[in-house]
Amino acid sequence: MKVRTIALNTFGSFLHNRVIFVTCLLFACNFLLGVFSVLKFKSMTTTSNAQQMQDLMLDDIGKVLFLLSGLGSLLAAWAAAGSVGSEMESGTILAVMARPLRRWHFLAGKYLGVLMLIAVYVVGMLGVTLLLTWLGGQLLHAPWWVLLVYPFVRYAVWAAISMFLVTLLNPAVVVGVVAVLLSLIQFLVSASALSGIPSWFRLPVHVVLPLTTVVLSEDRFLTMTRESLRRYPWAYHVTALAYGMDYALVCFLLAVAAFQHRSLLHD
Amino acid sequence: MGAPAIEFSDVTKTYQRRFAGPRVPALLEISFQVARGEICAFLGPNGAGKTTSMSILMGFICADRGCSRIFGYVPGDVRAKELVGFLPENLAFYRYLDAEALLEFHLRLSGRRVASPRELIAKLLAKVRLDGYESLKVGKYSRGMVQRLGIAQALIGDPELLVLDEPTSGLDPAGRKEVRDLILALKAEGKTIFLSSHILSEVEQICDRVIIINRGRLVRTGALQELLAEGNRVEIVVNQLPQGLEQAVMEQGASVNRDGDRVRIICEISGKRALAEMLWAGDCDVVSLTPMKSSLEEMFLKLVGEGRVE
Repeated sequence: MKVRTIALNTFGSFLHNRVIFVTCLLFACNFLLGVFSVLKFKSMTTTSNAQQMQDLMLDDIGKVLFLLSGLGSLLAAWAAAGSVGSEMESGTILAVMARPLRRWHFLAGKYLGVLMLIAVYVVGMLGVTLLLTWLGGQLLHAPWWVLLVYPFVRYAVWAAISMFLVTLLNPAVVVGVVAVLLSLIQFLVSASALSGIPSWFRLPVHVVLPLTTVVLSEDRFLTMTRESLRRYPWAYHVTALAYGMDYALVCFLLAVAAFQHRSLLHD
Repeated sequence: MGAPAIEFSDVTKTYQRRFAGPRVPALLEISFQVARGEICAFLGPNGAGKTTSMSILMGFICADRGCSRIFGYVPGDVRAKELVGFLPENLAFYRYLDAEALLEFHLRLSGRRVASPRELIAKLLAKVRLDGYESLKVGKYSRGMVQRLGIAQALIGDPELLVLDEPTSGLDPAGRKEVRDLILALKAEGKTIFLSSHILSEVEQICDRVIIINRGRLVRTGALQELLAEGNRVEIVVNQLPQGLEQAVMEQGASVNRDGDRVRIICEISGKRALAEMLWAGDCDVVSLTPMKSSLEEMFLKLVGEGRVE
């Protein structure tokens, strides 16, 4: 009940935050970019270049989704770091924590509030994906739940990482760290980078940064075919998602442990 | 009777910047108790350690050494927090909420079950004179209004103990009087109030006991009336005082004030016997000899100025 109250209040606080409006603006710009790109390639399509145009279109939609995916990761990191950091900076946490509430209740409420925001974002992204593929006359093979659950789990992991970091660092620094980590992951997942990494180093990197290979990224949804999906049985999805959720849980528990004895006063 | 409302035992707290920097002692082996049902003022100059003590009490920070208890529970324990209403010094609320939504939020967190939350909230807002501003966003409130809302927020869980850090800060004189009356009414209901304030004249009007700290050390604690009675001056009233005798009295270090037919002589308590004998020997009609109470402000300045440690 108390956790839910904090979660709803946290979600409500996001709706009054200017960063969310900026995010919505960037989201809309990205979407429009995708629409223009799709319409451009559609108008350029002839019977002789249909396959080439389709590939270019998918490539462009993939880039739009890649940008939206990065924006989603940063949004999750900012929301988690800001929801705790801003309360400590402004001092609103004092009146809240004076209530009969355990510290982990507070963090759990904050985290749930962030997950609610992430859920809205993921649904918005699914809408963009469907609209762009429909406009481009493309067929999406990946089932809806894959489009919803995979990004949600990945953002949940970023939110948990941020929540842990914000118990130790300033929220702005946390978002910076996450941005650096995101770039690092993008570098590592690129085939050229992976081929250059020795195998003894690759496994620990995958374990420490499970997002690189385990949790499917949005830009890869478009290139999925029925054949490629058939290669991944249920067990693969369950393992991948469980690994992501486990990662998030570990980070959240680390956040709880770090938050348990830290000062709630603004330094 | 049970455990005292608040108990501090040898509490020590030192601040240090992360990784490096000098260690700054904030509290040094502070020990005191606040009994149930009393109004206790926690006094000290800026930086004395009042807010640090209250933060330890509320479980916001941990003490380095010593122990503190609220009704026998450790700070931060949910059972302790169920019994406490807290008003922080630098009060901050969610600016996007209106007063009603904010109090509803705190009511839910307090775990208090009431038949009609809206009725309770309306009653509380009326109590702190914020009725009519229920739907105004907190971000648009003035400093005084936020302070009033903070008091309503502290009361929403119907706590047994109120910990108020500067409750009248930002309020106009009428508002301060209302808060004083509210605190006295709460005491009459059997609540315990532990407050810090720099307005000593107000403290003097409402408090049963005072605890004075300075530079992290306990300077003085005790019942307010007993402390004030410890004045070190005496007032001697006589019917008439010849000029020659007046000179001799003043040479003893006393001050003389002529007030109509009466003459008021104020001297140190240590010199009262010699002065009284001099007046009797001079055929003066001594009407009264009364120990003078000092004001809390005088006592506070003296103790803090001396840096005396109990």
